[in-house]
Amino acid sequence: MLWYRFWLETRARFLTSLATVTIFCGVFVYHAEGLLRPQWKSGFNRLLFINQQFLVIMWILACVLLGMGGIVREKAVGTSSLTLSLPVRRATVLGVRVGVGLAEAIVLGVVPWLTVFVISAWAGMPISITQVGSYIVLLTGGGLVYFAMAVLVSSLVVGEYTAPAVAFGVVLLSVLVFDNWIPRFNAWRLVTGDFSIDRKTFLLGKHLPWPGILASLAVAALMVLASMLVVERREF
Amino acid sequence: MTNEAVILTQGLTKSYGNREAVRALNLSVGRNRITAFLGRNGAGKSTTIKVLLGMVRATAGGGTVLGKQITDKKANLDTRRRVAYVAEDKPLYGYMTVEQTISFARSFYSDWRTNVERQLLRDYELPTRQKIKQLSKGMRTKLALLLAFARRPELLILDEPSDGLDPVGIENLLQTLVAQSADGVTVFFSSHQIAEVERVADHVCILEKGGLVVDAPLDELRQSYRRIDLVFPFPAPEREFRISGVERIRTSGHQMSVLASRNAEALVERAHCLNAVSVEVAPVGLREIFLETVKEN
Repeated sequence: MLWYRFWLETRARFLTSLATVTIFCGVFVYHAEGLLRPQWKSGFNRLLFINQQFLVIMWILACVLLGMGGIVREKAVGTSSLTLSLPVRRATVLGVRVGVGLAEAIVLGVVPWLTVFVISAWAGMPISITQVGSYIVLLTGGGLVYFAMAVLVSSLVVGEYTAPAVAFGVVLLSVLVFDNWIPRFNAWRLVTGDFSIDRKTFLLGKHLPWPGILASLAVAALMVLASMLVVERREF
Repeated sequence: MTNEAVILTQGLTKSYGNREAVRALNLSVGRNRITAFLGRNGAGKSTTIKVLLGMVRATAGGGTVLGKQITDKKANLDTRRRVAYVAEDKPLYGYMTVEQTISFARSFYSDWRTNVERQLLRDYELPTRQKIKQLSKGMRTKLALLLAFARRPELLILDEPSDGLDPVGIENLLQTLVAQSADGVTVFFSSHQIAEVERVADHVCILEKGGLVVDAPLDELRQSYRRIDLVFPFPAPEREFRISGVERIRTSGHQMSVLASRNAEALVERAHCLNAVSVEVAPVGLREIFLETVKEN
């Protein structure tokens, strides 16, 4: 029942984010598509790439919000003693929360792109499912590190509003720092497709940057593990 | 009733920085008893309970709950299966409905009694479809109590269980506590409502500044504590009455009031020897014992 509890806790945030992101992508692609005729082929591919840029911003914001919560936040809102009195390990509570959040983050990445796929086909300009799949893999595979970062921040920072503020700050800071100093390792660019896009055709390359995606997933896993250790040791 | 301790602590200490919230606490809560845990705000009652349940770590000392070490994480998990706990602020998830909260809690415990759950839902008149955040404080307290009483725990730990309840609710709660105890459940509860404690408790522990200052059966307290009001034909000789068992002396001119936890007879005899013109001995209620104890400390 822990999963059900976390679904109830996050469903408003999740459904609002899902509706916002999906409607935005659908409207953006549908309307811009009309504007770009008749050179739609490369123009439309470019449009999809731009769509991914906007989607990344919204998806990461949503992921940070979904990553908020947990026992540390509960301490701020006064429900931690109920959770801690349950016969469940703290790590299990966090694990289930992360599991529910991961599932929601993936759905948040898949549904908007499937909407774009369906709208394009319906408008007579079908796009390759491979391109759609690649964008989804980049978004969810490379971007889950932001969700994990939000989980870690919410395990370290107490306060209902302080934690999301710090998390958004860390995202911004990490993007700026990586972009200026070590752009090759900038997860933001990995997720947007900057590292894999062909600048002439605006199509994603056949070979996705798997080392980068796997490294990003590994860092995400480490962050979740660190969060578990923090929560296990923390006093409430 | 057996003397086996369900809760046992030895030198339990919990510090936050330089402040000792719990100070070398040696607590023993007997099985099948109703033990009241009294103390002023900030005396360390809630902290003690949190340490017992493994929510916070003890700085020094240790203890057992239901025979399991409180510092052992695995054992602590088992303890939480066997203990029902109602926290002071009655924490419940605001986004759940009453029905969802009950289903959620039920899923964790194999000792859940659906018939009791239904009965309490009726008795407490809880609106099952209403969200927790829309409930009044009293309703939240009732739901928190339902979650504890619907189980068959070995130990019930209640932190201010009557908080927010109306007189009818309090009466029902007290009856339930007695019934639970009769059913073999050990009850350990903290309260600021001394009148409630006096009605149901078998044993009283008073905590002051993190230390245990009273630990005795309620009947023993009632029998041993006496207030002796004395009038002398000359200024009251306070120093003559400072003997073992005297908790507090108040003098005003020729009058003197002595609160004694024992040796009341010796004090009366001494008063007669000192030619007291009036000697009145009266039993003392728990409220006075509590107030004098915490004031004294």
